[in-house]
Amino acid sequence: MSTLKKIIHSLAIPVLVAAILEGLCLTQGQNIITNAKSFDNFVVYTAIVMITTMALSINLNSGRFDFSLGSMAALSSVIGAEITYSALAGGKGSAVMMLIVTVAVGCLLGLISGAIYVALRLPPIITSLGVTLIYEGILYTITGGKYLMKEVQNSSMSAFANTWVYAFIIILVVLIFMVVVFEKTTFGYDYAALKSGQKVSINTGINEVKNALICYGICGALMGLVGFLNAARNTTINGGQLNFGSIAIMFTAFLPMFIGGYISQYCNEKMGFLLAAVCMSLLNSTFAVFSNQVTASMQSIINAVLLVVFLIYLNNINVIKRLFKR
Amino acid sequence: MKKRFAKLISLALVGVMSAGVLAGCGNSNDTASAAKDGVKIGVLVADVSGEEALGFRNYYEEYIQNNYDVTFEYTDALESAEDEKAAIEKFASKGYDAIISLSSSDRAQQIETCEEYGVYYAIASGVLDDEQYEQYKGYEHFVGQIGPSNETEFEAGKAMGEYYKEQGISTVAIYGAFIPNPMHVYRAAGIIAGLGDTYGGTDDMNGMIGQIFGDQAVDPSKIEGDVEVVAYLQGYGDTTTDELNAAIQKAPEAFLSVGMATTFFAQTLAQNDIQFADIDSFTEMNLDSMTNGTLTYLAGKYSSSIGPVFALVMNAVNGNVIRDNDGNAVSLSQGYLVATDVDSFNEYYVTDNGDTPIFDKESLDTIIGDAVTYDDVKALVESK
Repeated sequence: MSTLKKIIHSLAIPVLVAAILEGLCLTQGQNIITNAKSFDNFVVYTAIVMITTMALSINLNSGRFDFSLGSMAALSSVIGAEITYSALAGGKGSAVMMLIVTVAVGCLLGLISGAIYVALRLPPIITSLGVTLIYEGILYTITGGKYLMKEVQNSSMSAFANTWVYAFIIILVVLIFMVVVFEKTTFGYDYAALKSGQKVSINTGINEVKNALICYGICGALMGLVGFLNAARNTTINGGQLNFGSIAIMFTAFLPMFIGGYISQYCNEKMGFLLAAVCMSLLNSTFAVFSNQVTASMQSIINAVLLVVFLIYLNNINVIKRLFKR
Repeated sequence: MKKRFAKLISLALVGVMSAGVLAGCGNSNDTASAAKDGVKIGVLVADVSGEEALGFRNYYEEYIQNNYDVTFEYTDALESAEDEKAAIEKFASKGYDAIISLSSSDRAQQIETCEEYGVYYAIASGVLDDEQYEQYKGYEHFVGQIGPSNETEFEAGKAMGEYYKEQGISTVAIYGAFIPNPMHVYRAAGIIAGLGDTYGGTDDMNGMIGQIFGDQAVDPSKIEGDVEVVAYLQGYGDTTTDELNAAIQKAPEAFLSVGMATTFFAQTLAQNDIQFADIDSFTEMNLDSMTNGTLTYLAGKYSSSIGPVFALVMNAVNGNVIRDNDGNAVSLSQGYLVATDVDSFNEYYVTDNGDTPIFDKESLDTIIGDAVTYDDVKALVESK
């Protein structure tokens, strides 16, 4: 397939989505992006979805279903916010410090999660459920079940969330980091080999444990970043997420992961995730236009229906192609 | 050696996991119940983060607990009628003397459950509707309710709406907090009426609240009038930021809230230069918002406004179950105070702060005792 064809195929879904949604918005006399504020929201939401999707895909591609991603995001952001507030009391540089601390804590939480998986040798779905409960328990103990507000409501955080620029920079940095680490390093080659054939890879001398730990560490760091972005965007952190309440953070990434996976037939997988996140963000912005008609619960239903429809399409793609050839 | 090490690591991790889970199951207030032997009161709460809720909690736990032989234990955030029932059963099994309710998923069930377990019960925020009060006013363990009546809630919302209409505002966004919570339904209906708008073709209180209860939300398409409601949102959860952003994108001239906006949305609204109004309490955070000019209207209660309910409960536990002149559970209404600038805000904030609440020990002592009557309580409540 020529490069031009690849580009056209890669952009087909985002362009189609944008065209359909813009058409819908025009029926209300509006555009998807109505003003500067909505563009800020669009970019920040794209960053959150893209990073969550990447974090989810790292382990899922290797057959490890990690339920603890949401709890990592929530706990790391709470710890990051508490440490930052105790050091700077909401003063200048709070956003930068919280960003660094939250990512570092997220990485540590990811490593702990990975260590538990490696040490217990239980199916990852089991260990990740246990880890989720532990992290949510710690989160609840720290916050007493309350929303964290004063720790994240300050001019520094406000300045961060009030523009698309920082979120855009984060998207670029994460994209480059992920491409380099997973496609240009020994770790990345090992990861790809393990993904394709675990037994053969181990027999060739690849250290599976080390590779898994690094994967969990990167996942944790990415979810720390998501936790920070959520805190900046929401101006609160929910400290009362018990009994798997944090899993919702992860579920936002399922539809874009499948869309990204489909797009990645024609381009780099990470770029596919970015384009899928753009699609999700366009949908989110459209919901904003229709906010008086489409309630939050209806939005959840629409998202779920889209996921099911897309999965049906993916699983029946050959049948559909045959139908169109007739 | 390697296997042994792996086993040790496994055991350590299982230990950490168990400790973490147990830590999460704990309640920060469990120590409180063991601390004293005096009167033990369980407090049902749905909101554990709001400014008003924190003000109330601070008053009970810091001021009342330090001045009376009483221990308060707060629940976690109760999200449903089932949670409320379970919490009451837990308090009853632990031998608590009374329940004070700040949670209103199902007040009727709360009263029934307390009656079943023989635990005194009082309502400190919101009140029963007339029909429910008639049904439960004779229950032995229902001590009473002191707080703004439903009509007062409607009037508080209406005054807010009227204020902005007089300011010449033509577009607003409305936050319905926890509708269908009755208190919030009445306030929302009041705001719409105050703006001069109708809901489903009526501006009559009963006509409006009946529809809002039926809709379980405010349906913006039913609002008609000169002031346009460009956005409406309610609740607080995963989608709230998206809904708030959607509301802000519609550029309302004011954001009118029936409660809790000052807690959750103050910063975002300030970032976007949108003035807002709320029904909440006179707290430090609200003072900050009023000082920076974004909070332009606050209908508030004193944080110590829940003091008289505590007095009723103490009397009941000590054997003096106060009844009104008809022999029914006490039902008294409290009004709201309105601040539209820093000076008026400070007037209420400074007089009801920390160690010097409006309902201080000196005033509460006048309504705690064996000889205290309904008229004494009524006189004190109405004097503030």
